[in-house]
Amino acid sequence: MAKLTRRWGMVIDLDKCTGCGACNIACSQENNLPIFKDDSDIPKRVTFLDLVEVTNDKDPKAQYPDVKVAYLPKMCQQCSGNDPNHPNPPCVSVCPVVATDVGEDGVVSQIWSRCIGCRYCQVACPYEARVFHWWKPRYEGSFKKSLNPDVSIASRGTMVKCTFCSHIWKRERDRAIANGVTDINAVTYTPACASACPTNAIIFGDLNDPSSPVYEAAVQKNPRAVRLVHSIDELRTKDPSEYEKRLKIKDYPNPKVYYLTSQQWLRDKISGFKNS
Amino acid sequence: MKLERKDFLTMIGGAVVGTGVGTLISPGPWMGLQWLVEWTQDQYRPPKGEEKYLASICDRCPDKCTIQVRKIGNRAVKIETSNQGCAVGQLLLQVLYHPQRVTTPLKRTGKKGKIDFAPVSWDEAIADISKKINDAINNNKQEQIIAINPAYPDATSMLTERIALFSGSPYVFQESGYWALSNACSEIAFKTDGAIDYDFENADCVVSFGARLFEGWGNPGRMHNVLSLWKKKGIKFIQIDSIATRTASLADQWVAIKPGSEPLFAMGVAHYLMKYGKRSGATNFGRFTELLINKYTPEKVSELTGVSLDTIESVAKALISAQRPVAVAGRGGKVNSSSVAEFAIIQTINSMIGSMGSSVKLVSFTTPAKPVIPKKAKGLDEYIASDSVCDIALINNANPVYSSVYGQRLSDKLKKASTVVLCTSLLNDTALYADYVFPTLTSLELPVAGNAVVTPTSEAKHAGDSLLAIAKNIAKISSQFSWKNYLETVQTVKYQTKNIANVDIPVDLIITKLEETEKILSASGSYSIAMIPFEIPTVSDGSGLSLPYVLKGLPGTILKGDTSWVLMNPATASKEGISEGSKIDIESSRGELDTVRVHLTKRIAYDTVAIPIGFGHEEFTDYASEKGVNPKIIMSDAIDPASGYADWWLTRVKLS
Repeated sequence: MAKLTRRWGMVIDLDKCTGCGACNIACSQENNLPIFKDDSDIPKRVTFLDLVEVTNDKDPKAQYPDVKVAYLPKMCQQCSGNDPNHPNPPCVSVCPVVATDVGEDGVVSQIWSRCIGCRYCQVACPYEARVFHWWKPRYEGSFKKSLNPDVSIASRGTMVKCTFCSHIWKRERDRAIANGVTDINAVTYTPACASACPTNAIIFGDLNDPSSPVYEAAVQKNPRAVRLVHSIDELRTKDPSEYEKRLKIKDYPNPKVYYLTSQQWLRDKISGFKNS
Repeated sequence: MKLERKDFLTMIGGAVVGTGVGTLISPGPWMGLQWLVEWTQDQYRPPKGEEKYLASICDRCPDKCTIQVRKIGNRAVKIETSNQGCAVGQLLLQVLYHPQRVTTPLKRTGKKGKIDFAPVSWDEAIADISKKINDAINNNKQEQIIAINPAYPDATSMLTERIALFSGSPYVFQESGYWALSNACSEIAFKTDGAIDYDFENADCVVSFGARLFEGWGNPGRMHNVLSLWKKKGIKFIQIDSIATRTASLADQWVAIKPGSEPLFAMGVAHYLMKYGKRSGATNFGRFTELLINKYTPEKVSELTGVSLDTIESVAKALISAQRPVAVAGRGGKVNSSSVAEFAIIQTINSMIGSMGSSVKLVSFTTPAKPVIPKKAKGLDEYIASDSVCDIALINNANPVYSSVYGQRLSDKLKKASTVVLCTSLLNDTALYADYVFPTLTSLELPVAGNAVVTPTSEAKHAGDSLLAIAKNIAKISSQFSWKNYLETVQTVKYQTKNIANVDIPVDLIITKLEETEKILSASGSYSIAMIPFEIPTVSDGSGLSLPYVLKGLPGTILKGDTSWVLMNPATASKEGISEGSKIDIESSRGELDTVRVHLTKRIAYDTVAIPIGFGHEEFTDYASEKGVNPKIIMSDAIDPASGYADWWLTRVKLS
């Protein structure tokens, strides 16, 4: 069988995002997220995709009405680490029981049932993309009927996170095999958030595929592209030698989720890069 | 071979150690631990089954978006919206499988004001309600019958309307919103019925006067497509608002105005249009221009709205330079509030820029022939505020006790009524005053697109079928309801596009409204702060809050625990002695809200407090009840005389 060459990634156009919440709800439904009567306590809320409200209103120079707001769908950023050939995301290297690992397709997996709940990965994650189950997941009464059998229910005391809906890829793979398709790279899929987005702001695909809208080499050249808290990206074009130098001396998460925006204030907020 | 005792013991020991080490390094202990964890936690495993995808529709707005439903066995487990529609479609399973869905008809057993019901049979309930309506007709008390429908009409609305009108009652209303306001404007300014519809898809410049187009306004599915199109084509979009909403931030230009001054700003734009030679053939346009020249000069508008002359002029110029410009009325998201006068000013602008009839049309809801009875109240709020007696109320998929600023007065009326029938899938604030509650079906349980996706497992019926059963049992009107079931009635109604032949500018109405607006804006004294609403698209008018996945997505600056948070500019907060997280009480001339907390943000206009709507339900499942505050109870109750609905957008309040 051919080697899997796909490397899944995402491009999210924030200039098209209305913050409607469809991605967040589709994710919760697809991944059997627990249902509690009060989910307003954000640190203890179990979500794989947070719709983060971002505004420049804390900027000392900002005054009404020169302020803006945007919504940023934030899920696991699927880090690669410095060397894409030997992926080493910050969470994977600290897991003592290999409950989280990187697949051939670059997706950072999380096996709930293997997790011992030490939470090292939560501390290591630069994006606060991992959530701890403080309580046993509940699904009151008939809500149980809507649960997806492809995603197992996590136990209390375990870490969970977005896996780019890798169970959908497995479903598509099984379908393809049943239809006689033997090329593993012919299997494509779309995670729940991307297929729910009504403005096509979330685009999912193969970062290695030149025909894909998320082809990484092209996205990196897009002046609108920016990655979350990844200020080093700004040096890629501004100071390439400094960029290469820094890459070698320090671990960078190197996420596979790119955001697009033409708004400089939002780019600054996302990347954390200071021009001054 | 001789085996020494010592060697034998070594072998046994080696085997024991080997087995132990082998077991420890194998997955066995982990699997055992996993099993133990699952067993001690009573871990639930969703049952497997045959996978199917079935087509259906989302019936939550007039768009009726098509969806695919993924089924495992007889369970629906996922809604696939395929990059169209909105978050509401994704929530259909939360409605379908809500554990607190009403499953059987209910009859009140205790006092009104509490959820105190017992199951009743459909036959008994329908016989009793039909008898009451029959008696009202026979005793000449038809005018004590009232029908209340949701904000957007559908075939079920047609049925409640028909029951009321054929019984002889003029009291048919819908909850306040864009449809009601827009229709009221059409009746006055265009002498016909229909909601104002804009050709967003072909427009090349859009100026929105407070319509938060991408936060629940209109049909959200369509508006999402429109946004994608505008971004692709680079369409110029200008938003007028007092909050940096998402719509304002997505716009090419956000014009920040004093809260509630939208109609005055529109006059300023109209003045510049006139100055640059734009004219309209509308009736009364002469009087309108006199008003612009004599009273609403750009200088005065600038002073009243807080917007510079250059900015007002630039908005007018943007409209003039476009080929297919559109000026949009209807402040708010799904929840809309303004006045017919404001709608009329903005439609006058559309007629001045030549968009009337081309980029601006009407959409009317056509229904089978019905009696024409002169209206005795133009809108629901006007009816509630009047002394009219209500004895029988048919409330169809609506929650007017919560949604109307006159909710308290409506509950008093409903308390005295003998028969209040509420069709709903979840017990809400209005159910506290209902005598009968009829459980309703979702679109997933109806054969709307082929077969039903899920077979109903309860006694619930579609609201249309319940109402049809009542109507068929009322002797004097039953002949007007020949349809076999609700699905047949759907074939008799449709949304139809209409052209606008002429515009009749209601100048007197406009003058009165502008004078009132000026007075509110210049109000001084103790109520020195302006309170305006904002909406979370998933919470919408409050109907989304009962669905737990909505709670999961709320920003932390809206609700924490049971407490609502309001937004305020730091400069205003400093003046009022308020800091981040402070607890404050908000009071208007109508009363006081429960304590709220303050989040400081420069996104809000000065001397203003922005409050989220959709929260503070007295009763609406375990997930929504008693969460936050409902600002409607203190919001302005000034009734717009042309629509009969309160214009509650701007309320003067004081903080303590």
